[in-house]
Amino acid sequence: MTDVGLGSLAAAEIAAPRRHGTLRRLLRHRSFMIGFSIILLLTLAAVLAPLISPIDPSAMKVRLRFRPPSSAFWFGTDMFGRDVFTRVLYGARISLFVGFSVCVVSGLCSAIIGVIAAQFRRLDGAIMRLMDALMSFPAILLALGIAAALGPRVSSVVIALTVAYIPAGVRIVRAAALTVREMDYVQAAQVSGASSLRIVIRHILPNCFSSLLVHLTFIFAYAMLAEAALSFIGVGIQPPIASWGNIIAEGRDYATEAWWVMLFPGIAISLAALSLNLLGDALGDMLDPRQKGGA
Amino acid sequence: MVDQPIVEVRDLHKTFAVKRDGGVSMLHALSGVNFDIVGGETLGLVGESGSGKTTAGRILVGLLPATSGTVSLFGHSITGPDGKAQLASVRSRLQLVFQDPYASLNPRMRISNAIAEPLDIAGTYSRKDRNDRVAELLELVGLPKNSVERYPHEFSGGQRQRIVIARALALNPDFVVCDEPVSALDVSIQAQIVNLLLDLQDRLGLSYLFIAHDLAVVRAVSTRVAVMYAGAIVETAPKAQIYSDPQHPYSRALLDAVPRADPDAVRHPVVAGEVPSLLSRPPGCSFHPRCAFATERCRVEVPLLRDSGAGRRVACHLFST
Amino acid sequence: MSSPLLSIQNLSVQFRVDTGWVTAIDDVSLDLAAGECVGLVGESGSGKSVTALSILRLHERTTTRISSGLILYQGQDLLRAPGSAMRRIRGSEIAMIFQDPMSSLNPVLTIADQMSETLRQHQGLAGAAARKRVVELLGLVRIPDAARRADDYPHHLSGGMRQRVMIAMAIACKPRLLIADEPTTALDVTIQAQIMELLRDLRRELSMSVMLISHDLGVIAEFAQRVIVMYAGRVVEGAPVAQLFRRPVHPYTMGLIAAVPKLDSEASRLATIPGRIPGPQEVIRGCRFSPRCTLARDCCLAEQPSMQLVSDHQSARCPPRILALSEGHG
Repeated sequence: MTDVGLGSLAAAEIAAPRRHGTLRRLLRHRSFMIGFSIILLLTLAAVLAPLISPIDPSAMKVRLRFRPPSSAFWFGTDMFGRDVFTRVLYGARISLFVGFSVCVVSGLCSAIIGVIAAQFRRLDGAIMRLMDALMSFPAILLALGIAAALGPRVSSVVIALTVAYIPAGVRIVRAAALTVREMDYVQAAQVSGASSLRIVIRHILPNCFSSLLVHLTFIFAYAMLAEAALSFIGVGIQPPIASWGNIIAEGRDYATEAWWVMLFPGIAISLAALSLNLLGDALGDMLDPRQKGGA
Repeated sequence: MVDQPIVEVRDLHKTFAVKRDGGVSMLHALSGVNFDIVGGETLGLVGESGSGKTTAGRILVGLLPATSGTVSLFGHSITGPDGKAQLASVRSRLQLVFQDPYASLNPRMRISNAIAEPLDIAGTYSRKDRNDRVAELLELVGLPKNSVERYPHEFSGGQRQRIVIARALALNPDFVVCDEPVSALDVSIQAQIVNLLLDLQDRLGLSYLFIAHDLAVVRAVSTRVAVMYAGAIVETAPKAQIYSDPQHPYSRALLDAVPRADPDAVRHPVVAGEVPSLLSRPPGCSFHPRCAFATERCRVEVPLLRDSGAGRRVACHLFST
Repeated sequence: MSSPLLSIQNLSVQFRVDTGWVTAIDDVSLDLAAGECVGLVGESGSGKSVTALSILRLHERTTTRISSGLILYQGQDLLRAPGSAMRRIRGSEIAMIFQDPMSSLNPVLTIADQMSETLRQHQGLAGAAARKRVVELLGLVRIPDAARRADDYPHHLSGGMRQRVMIAMAIACKPRLLIADEPTTALDVTIQAQIMELLRDLRRELSMSVMLISHDLGVIAEFAQRVIVMYAGRVVEGAPVAQLFRRPVHPYTMGLIAAVPKLDSEASRLATIPGRIPGPQEVIRGCRFSPRCTLARDCCLAEQPSMQLVSDHQSARCPPRILALSEGHG
């Protein structure tokens, strides 16, 4: 038997292009669709807030205080007569912005630091000890300290939370990078004379991406919850800027008279966190066992 | 006319420092390995685990530094003081084909990019030349042209190995180290890949160092065979001789142990014992604890690889005068 | 003619994938007599391991299901037996050893501790009596210095030693059937020879039946008395070992034997089987081997062939070949 016919046989046997395989699988995955839809809805609500509710979220109308939820005020009014629904909508902007920024910035930093730790063994020890030190503080306390030091504004919250969440990401990236470094395809690139930079950019980083991505969806959720907590404590976003956390904080003193002030932002936070967890789980399922050779 | 060997290895040693039980021990992966490879031939390097064959292969392509000894490729010494520069100058002439078709391709890279990577690293190819070369290579290894945009997971083990071979041939190397290239493949696919390697050798004038533990596969591919045990070469001989008349007791034992797909074949006595730990090799000949012919001299003196006639060399006191 | 010890009849097993269920093995039947050694040979995707795991119902419950068939052990259907019966059978009547001893041994327990667990479970041994039996068993599998080795942890032992420990654990309760799934694939060739010799001797000493699963035709040829060949989830041929190698009937068997590189062959090129092995998801009308078969006819492509007898002890799933043979060709 010669190998002449092999080319055509081999050709016939390669499956038809599955270019949209990943997309289709994602669409079929229930958790993913639920999680993604909710987050998408919340994002759209936040972005289109002025269109959805043309009321000024800070407008105080003393005569309209403590109105319960009705057709005029879907989530009722608070102690200053402000429309809770509008405040929750605008609060979504802050929460999602914080979540997203922390996610992106800490992701980038984790990726860079993690890969450096994996590539340069001499720096590895120092970097990981520093990460360990940071991780020994509960993230929320660390963020509290930083935010208190920097002053109560959105940027402080973002910086504080980013710093708090970098170590966990570094651990994940470093572990993935160490695995990928030992893979034959990296060695193949070395045999061909690839520079370390090329190997990091073309081989190591792309294969650490999936582990990091799953982790980042959870960071998004943690960051939103943490921002709410910081604002609740009073170290984060200050009223009259609406944030889910500070709406709840303000509503605390009127819990019995105007329970709706605490309830709706609370539901919003829970919903956002839940949907991100579903998203993260789904991505974890998708990305994990499919590809061998990555990490 | 005697060809200048393209690979010359002299007294190659490789030790690894391993952390063990609180301290650091030295693992002697290679202890004084000598061999040559001339242009157009295939040297089969056989051995079991701990033999050092994979380590030797990796040193030859510059993935591992040697601890001592010399390695010359195409006349350039890569173990000398400017070894790195010398290696860089001959890099495009050598390559490595790996064992595991699932770990040797980046799952996130399209195979066109994977195959073209050596070209991209060299950096001297225009876009058109690069793509033409990729198409040429795909045809060379028997893969269809429409594979270019696909990812590794869309291919079977045998097809992935073809991709790996295509990548290895990108810069037209003269010498390819094949490290167990078919061990992870099914038998019916193994045969296809072995034939492909042989065809490519004929067409492109390649030389191979074929590392394997499967003696039968080595027989199909090699012109000469070197048998390794516990970090040293114990015998080298032209293919026909080593299979019909192995000299070293370990070569004999290895051949006897191979199960034959023939129920009528004569079964040979099985050699007892195991490969020694490379952290604490026995004194003298490493094989003596398992050797039926061991003498007092074998227990004390390390046998050197010496000529034993007709292009054969063996490291055994039974054959030294 | 006594009834077989183990009889697998028309077994079909399915795996779950994204799109639903796919067939892993289809209509697998084989018999194993008491004291016999049967070799199950096939490449990846042949379904040989799935078949073996089904005997002891060791497959992953959520992603695998048995869609039809029976597995009769001494007349009892193992697939419908209650959990308590299976627990009794596993280990003491039917034992299994696997390819990778490192993952089959608990790394945080000593050898003696792990072996004592089996002895306690099935034979009620404890303390000194168990220890004595452990050392005895380690000696049976020819581990030197057994008393000292019993207190080692798995990572102190070499691959060959670990496999011997696995075998010792398997034979601890003198099972009637030992299923060995690629027991030597991960071992060096000289160690493989030692382990196969050990299995041969133990089979004789304990009058045990063995089902040996391997992709290596050489190992099968040297050990099995009867061989079952599987391809892409189906049994394609079954014959006594000598007959299989001398007069294979199914084209896949012929191709496989031809493709194995021979130690004493002068050929410069290996015989190949073109194409590649189909995955379980691929639906092929007709014979699963037909896309690669050089002898394929129209009937092969149209409908699934059935197993037919070639002679008293040999059967194959290739009606055209059997017909040709009976007419005196081939």
